[in-house]
Amino acid sequence: MNQNLLMKKRLFVWLGWLLTMGAQAQDLEGTVTYERNTSYTKMVAKLPYLSQEEKDRAKMMWGNEEGDKQKMKLTFTPDQSLYTYIGEQGETDDGRWSWRQSEYVIQRDFEKGTLTELQEFAGKTYIIQDSLKTPKWKVLNQLKDIAGHICMKAETEDPVNNQKIIAWFADDIPVSTGPERMYGLPGVILELDYNDGVSVVTATKVEMKKVDAKELALPKLKGRKIKMADHDRIIKEHIKDSIEGRRNPYWGINLWN
Amino acid sequence: MRHLLLSACLILCACVVEAQTRLSIKGRAVDTTSTALPFTTVMLLTPKDSALVSYARADENGRFELKNARRGTYLLKMSYTGYLPFQMEVMPAEGALTDLGDLKMKPISKELFEVVVKTAKAPLNIRGDTIEYNASSFKVPPGSTVEDLLRRLPGFQVEQDGSIRAQGQEVKRITVDGKNFFGGDPKAATKNLNAEAIDKVQVYTSKTEQAKATGIDDGKKEKTVNLALKEEFKKGGFGKIKAGIGTDERVDVRGNYNKFDDKRQFAVVGVGNNINQSTMAWDDRQDFYGSSSYRWDETDFGFGGGISSGDGGSDGVIIQGGNIIIMNGGGGSDRGFNNTYSGGVNYNFETKKRKFSSNYFYNQRRNWTNQLINRQSILADNAFETDSRSNEHSQNDNHKVQLRYEDNLDSLNTLIVLANGTINNSSYGQDLSQENRRSATQLTNRTTQDNGSSAQTLNFSGSALYRHKFKTKGKSFAASVTYILNNGDSDAEQRSLNQFYDPTTGAPLFSRQLSLLNANRNRQNQIRSSLSYVQPISKRVSWENFYNFGIRNDKVDRDVFNQLEGNVRNDSLSRYYTNQILHHRLGSGFRYNYKGTNIGVGFAAINMNISGKFSSDQNSPNVMEVNRSYTIVVPGVSFNMDLKNNRYVYAEYAGDVQQPSIRDLQPIIDYSNPLYITQGNPNLKPTVNHRAYAGLQYFNPSSFTRFFGGINYNYAVNQVVYNQTIDSLLVTRTRPANLSGGQNFGTYLNVGFPLKKNKANISFSTNVNFSRGYTLINDIENRTNNNSYNWGTNLELTPSEKFTFYGNANWSYSDVNYSINTTQNQNIWNQSYSGQMNVKLPWESYFNATFDYRIYKNDRFGLDQNIPILNLAVYKLLGKAKKSEVRLSAYDLFRRNLGITQGASGNYFTQTRVETITRYFMLSYTYNMRGVKANMRRNGGF
Repeated sequence: MNQNLLMKKRLFVWLGWLLTMGAQAQDLEGTVTYERNTSYTKMVAKLPYLSQEEKDRAKMMWGNEEGDKQKMKLTFTPDQSLYTYIGEQGETDDGRWSWRQSEYVIQRDFEKGTLTELQEFAGKTYIIQDSLKTPKWKVLNQLKDIAGHICMKAETEDPVNNQKIIAWFADDIPVSTGPERMYGLPGVILELDYNDGVSVVTATKVEMKKVDAKELALPKLKGRKIKMADHDRIIKEHIKDSIEGRRNPYWGINLWN
Repeated sequence: MRHLLLSACLILCACVVEAQTRLSIKGRAVDTTSTALPFTTVMLLTPKDSALVSYARADENGRFELKNARRGTYLLKMSYTGYLPFQMEVMPAEGALTDLGDLKMKPISKELFEVVVKTAKAPLNIRGDTIEYNASSFKVPPGSTVEDLLRRLPGFQVEQDGSIRAQGQEVKRITVDGKNFFGGDPKAATKNLNAEAIDKVQVYTSKTEQAKATGIDDGKKEKTVNLALKEEFKKGGFGKIKAGIGTDERVDVRGNYNKFDDKRQFAVVGVGNNINQSTMAWDDRQDFYGSSSYRWDETDFGFGGGISSGDGGSDGVIIQGGNIIIMNGGGGSDRGFNNTYSGGVNYNFETKKRKFSSNYFYNQRRNWTNQLINRQSILADNAFETDSRSNEHSQNDNHKVQLRYEDNLDSLNTLIVLANGTINNSSYGQDLSQENRRSATQLTNRTTQDNGSSAQTLNFSGSALYRHKFKTKGKSFAASVTYILNNGDSDAEQRSLNQFYDPTTGAPLFSRQLSLLNANRNRQNQIRSSLSYVQPISKRVSWENFYNFGIRNDKVDRDVFNQLEGNVRNDSLSRYYTNQILHHRLGSGFRYNYKGTNIGVGFAAINMNISGKFSSDQNSPNVMEVNRSYTIVVPGVSFNMDLKNNRYVYAEYAGDVQQPSIRDLQPIIDYSNPLYITQGNPNLKPTVNHRAYAGLQYFNPSSFTRFFGGINYNYAVNQVVYNQTIDSLLVTRTRPANLSGGQNFGTYLNVGFPLKKNKANISFSTNVNFSRGYTLINDIENRTNNNSYNWGTNLELTPSEKFTFYGNANWSYSDVNYSINTTQNQNIWNQSYSGQMNVKLPWESYFNATFDYRIYKNDRFGLDQNIPILNLAVYKLLGKAKKSEVRLSAYDLFRRNLGITQGASGNYFTQTRVETITRYFMLSYTYNMRGVKANMRRNGGF
């Protein structure tokens, strides 16, 4: 049995154990509202083919602009979670302009140890179905308050690009889930930071309430079915090609892939 | 059976081994008074890198047990709200169970917890004995010192004498980014450093200096505070300078310097050259304007094209009557020979709430243009040729100031104030000789002219823009008011000798001499105001309304003196006029907006009143009046759709209204150019241009395949066309009139894809255009049909980091038909082939070649011109950081830059040849503080 699977199994044992603990466990479901803010200048600053002059120019011109903001929602129970956009369209603050959001649904089933993702990237729509693979976390010595919860800091690496991801998890909500594709800590992740602030996902509201099964249901899945390894390969290739072709790879894929 | 037994044995053994290598750790989380801390989170980490191995949760009595861990040393970490995270190293005891007993957790001081964690929402870092806060979370007024900041931090005390105590102990040392500040005197650091520069304040206990120096721990500890500076305050300035000197006295000097942090941006730029580069390169422009490079405030609200003026907009002043057009800003194409000097300063200050930007720019340009113009004009029964030779010299001095202030008063209200001003001084001189011929030999008239002018213009525009968002999502209101002032004074001299010849015999008939002195005073002021109101009707539909109002007053005083008659005022050419243009535009429409589908349908009604008074002089009793009033209703429809997988479809239809120019409305004959006499028409109506276009785009970010295509159609109603009457002496008289039916239909298509990903890309494009225009020539209606067909292909080869090639080929064919004289029909062929090659040579050296080959053909005039232009450059980057570059470049190596342009329009075909810069060699040096980048490849956008 490989180390990973063993660890996962162990995790579920713990999880199962604490779920049977009674009173507290039954309340461990609800929704977390996040705001995902992606900074264009910080993204540009990481592109290897640009000169320092070009990066400085971008920072000077766009550095004070607000990033690309999206409202996201995580619905969870101890067994399952579903992460997607809030609202069916992207729109400006005043609501006068809207745009279609690329498909993005991440569903995890901790009981079965499976994940299902509906994602649009590299010009196509894909359905990823695979078993769950927990990120390898390091737990660090920092505390921060997010949406009224004291969170602890943890760190991991993005499996495709080896970029630093920082997570802040609330151990007073002991459900091992989180936004984007991150989970596996002793509490719900309330903030994520990709590559030193390039993209930050922060909880704005945490609601503990009974979750309807409908809220965890997947939408109609239409797209090409692939495994996680295929996904990783496509993303890796896309990033490599884009950088070689002097293009920003993140115009075609989600940063959190 | 034996096998089974063996297997069972093996499994048993494995279990025993497993049990021995596995470990359970238990304990109990309590506080300092041994009270249980229920449901504490307990984590098991590897001591090496804090990797999470497993975790559990204590029960209601604080008891926990971590089972089944692999034997080894661990870091046990416990977390409980309001307590400092507990951490200890766990060495496994003998046996399967390690009992750690009661583990005491220390509470975070209430002050720290409430202020740092809860109120300031600052991360609290615990690093052994170091506690760190994020200083930026503690708000201090701008201009505060570090001392003011420390006063606000929990656990800090600042005494009267400036000494600091942290957590009760005196702070002996303050470091900045880990380095001693002013000999480590804490007071000097805290009193001199600006609080805004600080990112983090770290407090830790360190050994004394003495202990560090001797290496002997004297047991004494002292409190040290480290101030970590914000990233942007570590930045200095940056900039670059380039100086080049070449043959033919060619000089190119330019430099810029920038300094910026997250609030302030400062830039200076200076340029001086005589290589026809009078405008800033795109990148330099961005460096200069910084965050205000792309700021654009629309002060006239509403959809559709709105109203434009036929007077060349407010950005240029046209000296009426003569041939002189002065544009502001000193831009325009680099024709002839130019000496340019320019320089400017830009300063931006931005916070989330307020944005301020300001700049001053000076531009001086001297231009020498020698040009030959050959023009073939088509008449009903024949054609004639005009040959002109002109030598021009001009000088322009331009000062420009721009200011912008934006204040986001609160989350719902925004106010923007804009002010722009320019002062322009110019002078112009021209020697012109022009001949009109019936055929190559039959000269009909000849003019020689000596013209000169000087002009001063002052332009100012100021706007205030207010936007209000209502609490109801999508409901908004906006109002703007703008004042524009355009003043211009000019003096012009026009001297001409005009000789006429008999059209049949060629014998000289008579001559006319003119010598006129023009003094012009133009005063224009304008007030515009605009309102917009948007009301959501449902989640997907909103109702949009706008109203524009404008009033423009012009006053022109033109005095013409006849120098040949002792400076007598010429009453038929002199004039004084005032006019007022009043317009209202009211529009309303609906917008549907859902998931990237945007559909707008609406209309706008425009009412325009033009009233003018003309006379030859202010005091003249003969005042002519022109009063016109128009009401036009134009619809507007737009459609945009954002489809899945990077496909985008759009379509739009709108009507644009253009008001007739004041010059064209004046019923006065202007014969100051005796060969080209113009007359106005007070009956002109506004032109309505119906524009429609539609298209689609597709881009595949993975395969880099792209496709763009579209169609467009234009139909003009009441277009202002200049009807011509050409007499037997080839004197042209023009008079504007309205004519409907001019139209244009075009399509374009562009397909691009990689031949080999990232190594070779190819794209093909084609566009086809059919246009039809009308003019009256000697009272006969002429219809000019121009059908043009263009094909192009683009090849990008980027096989390695050492070689790149970008090639481009374009072919175009135009078929021009004149209804009044089909014998003059023309076929025009233009071809162009261009290429750019970059080669990386050894020793950080690079080679760059650009080649441009153009072929012009016109069978009607037997034109066949081939122009090859080759530019070469070699450059070398110097230094470890590659901050300098030395470049040797050769421009137009074949000496073939002839400055040719040609085109057919209306009833004529023109070919212009401007003498311009040809071959020169230049040696230049560039120093860039940020490093020079070799331009081997083009960026694909970022």
